[in-house]
Amino acid sequence: MYFLIVAFGFLLMVRGARPAPLQRPVEGLGRIVREAADLFLTTSLILAFLAFAAEFEEIRTVVREYVVLGFGIASYLLSRYQKKTDAFFLTVTASIFMISSKQRDLSQEILMAGVVSSGIALFQACFLGLRYRLLFSSVPISMKGWPSLCLLAGFISMVLWGLWNAAF
Amino acid sequence: MFLAYLPFMAYPYGFFKAGVAALWIVIFLWGTVFFFWFTRRLFPEHSLKHAFFLWLIVWAQAVWMLTKLPPYWIASVFFLTPVSFLDDTTKASQVRVFSKKVPRYFFERILTGAGFAGFVMLLAFVREVGENNLGIQAFQQPAGMLLVVAAAAFLWKNQPYRRKR
Repeated sequence: MYFLIVAFGFLLMVRGARPAPLQRPVEGLGRIVREAADLFLTTSLILAFLAFAAEFEEIRTVVREYVVLGFGIASYLLSRYQKKTDAFFLTVTASIFMISSKQRDLSQEILMAGVVSSGIALFQACFLGLRYRLLFSSVPISMKGWPSLCLLAGFISMVLWGLWNAAF
Repeated sequence: MFLAYLPFMAYPYGFFKAGVAALWIVIFLWGTVFFFWFTRRLFPEHSLKHAFFLWLIVWAQAVWMLTKLPPYWIASVFFLTPVSFLDDTTKASQVRVFSKKVPRYFFERILTGAGFAGFVMLLAFVREVGENNLGIQAFQQPAGMLLVVAAAAFLWKNQPYRRKR
């Protein structure tokens, strides 16, 4: 789950919703929190829908057999309805797959969705903060762009790994 | 290329399995580009993108049923697919099938796929060596790969021939 948080947190940071200007980090932080809330609600809604559908004996086998198709279409439709980016849809799909393959109990699934959304938001907040600090540093031109972004993501990943091991 | 690699971080695969998954992604990418290139005019306006995502979801389900490969790979295919492909404003019908642009278009996609497979295998090899042979703990988490990719991005950005421009 930690790998998914880092990979898709980075993906959302680079290709997610249009970020606020780096000069206004508080606004950027607000957008990150809103995106995380949307991610949590969308994921939880689809997980609840899948759990509800699996309650009916007549369709339980079909729901479990075609689970990827079911949540894939549901997450695509919900992402389009909310006018979200493609990266958001891919993140929701990946999160639901990972959560539903580890848990069967709905309350545990929703708890995991909360952990994933919070983890992604924490990763993005750290990333935003460090990028803001970089604005006031003299980064060499040869390091600007992807090299510095990947370095930042790597360092944040190391810190979060320590926190993750301490928490779980 | 790097964004397409990101989903691989969620796969707990070694060198061989990562290579097989990368090969599948590349073959699927080529098939997708080929399929949509010749059928794109059949889709109603502004529906190509929806059809593309539905195509991805259906294949994710089929591959999951057959091989139990988690569907993260559709993100890789999405990021390897050319941007203009999903752009509603691009008028694909203006490019004739027998135009000179067609071979170049497919050649670029073939190069992209081959480059991606090579990139994934290289990183999987580095991860395997770093984690198992050298025992570097950073490779047991995404940080190790992110630092390797940062080094690769630095080398790519500072190629000698680019500086001469």
